[in-house]
Amino acid sequence: MNDEDKIIDQIISDPALKEQLKKLVIERVNVMPDTLRISVGSDDFDKESLLNHVREEDEVGTQIMEMELDFLRGLASGAVYANE
Amino acid sequence: MPTNRALLVTRPNHDLITQYFHKWSEEVLHAAEKKNIKVYDLKGKKAVKSELESYALTQKPSLFFLNGHGNAYVIMGHDNEPIVNASSSLGEGIIYARSCDAGQALGALLIKNGAKTFIGYKRKFICGYSPDKITKPELDPIARIFLEPSNLVVLILIKGHTSQDAHNRSKEAMYKNFRKMISSAASYEERYAARWMWGNLNNQVLIGNPKSKI
Repeated sequence: MNDEDKIIDQIISDPALKEQLKKLVIERVNVMPDTLRISVGSDDFDKESLLNHVREEDEVGTQIMEMELDFLRGLASGAVYANE
Repeated sequence: MPTNRALLVTRPNHDLITQYFHKWSEEVLHAAEKKNIKVYDLKGKKAVKSELESYALTQKPSLFFLNGHGNAYVIMGHDNEPIVNASSSLGEGIIYARSCDAGQALGALLIKNGAKTFIGYKRKFICGYSPDKITKPELDPIARIFLEPSNLVVLILIKGHTSQDAHNRSKEAMYKNFRKMISSAASYEERYAARWMWGNLNNQVLIGNPKSKI
């Protein structure tokens, strides 16, 4: 596990931080276009089903939260632009 | 145990995303045939453990392209039956698994069992798609963004380059697509799906010998 993965795990493991992240992710999933779907593992999701998983904080919901956090951290750190 | 310059592909098609992988793998099969590389195509119901092990043992292909669902210890075939697990021996070939999580543990175990190189994903392999294109996966512009860079792993290998080259070129293509997706020229769908591409980009791993070739 690299440092970035460890930080994401720490945030997800902290109930207060996870609750804040959950609220943020729900807002971000809410703007997902209806004309888009995602396949994660053996399941396919539209916006409504993703929202339900995030609200439930189940395995899929937690994966979505981790993914959003990873992307946001990449944007904030500039990592998304650093790979030219 | 030397290998033969051949490509073995498993591509089940029992659900939506395996249908996408099944269809998008055709580009790789055609490219291999053009290069006069023998292709063993375990598609649909033929994507089962007994068939895979039989071909691995008798034909000793130098390259395995495994499509299907997976987890840290197993890659699935038709109907999500395990096709590769920790005890599988696929000879001394190079393995690329378009499958979730297998880069966490299974990849290293397959190297221990004799494979030269494993390329796969340490977390979920994400694929975005357009619901209005599910009957024509090959025309899905969103899926294309995710699956073309993935195909590139195998396309570069069959051109005779090293595993490291294939891994790098695939990641470069993912990054190129990612940058387009976060640009003002992208569609709303592409911009939203960029976060998923970022995940694939960071989760693709190479384990084993980076200098291996088919």
